[in-house]
Amino acid sequence: MFIDIACSQKKKYNQNAYGDYFASNRFPNMNRVVAVLSDGLGSGIKANILACMTSTMLLKFMESHFDIEKSCEIIMNSLPVCKVRGISYSTFSAIDCYDDGNAKIVEEGNPDFIWIRNGEVLKPEYQSIQSKDFKNRKMKVYNIQLEKYDRIIFCSDGATQVAMGSKRYPLGLERSGLIKIILNKLEQEPEISSKNLSEYLVKQIELIAPNKELKDDTSILSIYCRDPRESLIFTGPPFHGEKDNYYAKTFMEFKGKKAISGGTTANIISRELNIPVIAKLSMNSGKLPGLSEMAGVDLVTEGILTLTKTLEYLESGNTEENAAKTLMDFLLDSDVINFLVGAQMNKAHYDPNLPIEIEIRKNIIKKIAKVLEEKYLKKVNVQFV
Amino acid sequence: MAKVEVKVCLGTTCFVMGGSNLQELNDIIPQKYGDKVELSAANCLGLCSINWEYSKAPYVKVNEEVVSEATVEKVLEEIDKQLGN
Ligand code: FES
Repeated sequence: MFIDIACSQKKKYNQNAYGDYFASNRFPNMNRVVAVLSDGLGSGIKANILACMTSTMLLKFMESHFDIEKSCEIIMNSLPVCKVRGISYSTFSAIDCYDDGNAKIVEEGNPDFIWIRNGEVLKPEYQSIQSKDFKNRKMKVYNIQLEKYDRIIFCSDGATQVAMGSKRYPLGLERSGLIKIILNKLEQEPEISSKNLSEYLVKQIELIAPNKELKDDTSILSIYCRDPRESLIFTGPPFHGEKDNYYAKTFMEFKGKKAISGGTTANIISRELNIPVIAKLSMNSGKLPGLSEMAGVDLVTEGILTLTKTLEYLESGNTEENAAKTLMDFLLDSDVINFLVGAQMNKAHYDPNLPIEIEIRKNIIKKIAKVLEEKYLKKVNVQFV
Repeated sequence: MAKVEVKVCLGTTCFVMGGSNLQELNDIIPQKYGDKVELSAANCLGLCSINWEYSKAPYVKVNEEVVSEATVEKVLEEIDKQLGN
């Protein structure tokens, strides 16, 4: 199971800083995701600082399995006190969740989270913990078991209180109103991604607000338990030529999305499985060879040059429109990425007459795997063949 | 009359050795020869690694004739030859 998580936010009308703050971290090797959404007192910069401090501290505490009660006391004690109101305050929702569905949720002050399974809203049990130092603060702690296709929605009170005092919503949209919008959307688009759902909800809330002006910062944090999107990238001819056929078949039988990065690799698969590969002569591919086409394969690119550029794009975040960008998008569109790397050297690449130095494929793939794991929090497997 | 088939190699070696410039043929050939010449690309013609010690990439095949260290001019010359111009 893959935990798809995304947060969408909108500032209070006319403010220049977000008063809600979202922080998350994924540990692909531990199959774990931690996320915090915090809402700081008031709005603007002051709220932003409170919320940001709360989120980042709480995230760190949760990551290290530090006792949640103690963490919260420490955070509440360390927040700066508002000069005007004489209090320091920020509310939060936090989740620590594993791929097997085991999740712990802690809430303080934010609207209760919404848990949806098969179009129904579940009502989980919780433990209520009173703060020792702060009389008015109570935490709710939930230990729940998520199942595939479950959804969890967290929001700041900007979402539930929108349009409060209006004729249509005297008490604001409320949690029940928000649930209606969510269930409606899920009926139309049962497989909507967390990103699209959270963006959609924030947009709807903005439309409900009188004159479309939000009176408070509004955040939606959406979680969706789904099958991981897997992809397989075959690059480089296998070391033992006699296994070409075996690897070509393994590649083609893969269920997820498939890419080939390497002209010779594409030729081998084409030869072994008798599927033509068509190289395209394109004018605007610039400094990289363009894409080829092959039935049953989602993407076919040239190898080393394209991979080198893709690595550069992944590291810098700057891209141009070319085959490397297409390959980067392909990678970022997957949750679990598998590389099948042929270890045969291409002698021609080590010709001293070549105008550029070409790096060994293995090294580039290792670097790509590293940046995908560390910067983009993907799960990556590399197999050398 | 049989068509002349032109295959430009856009494999890694050929591409970095100057094959990228051959993409111009995409414009020139249809203009100059209309449908007498059929142009296509290949991923690696397999020539770069046979001969790698004296690499003469980029390679272009004009029918069965291999043009090595190919340039736009050389390819056009070979086409003209084969068309009997
Ligand atoms: S890259 Fe052109 S022949 Fe190999």
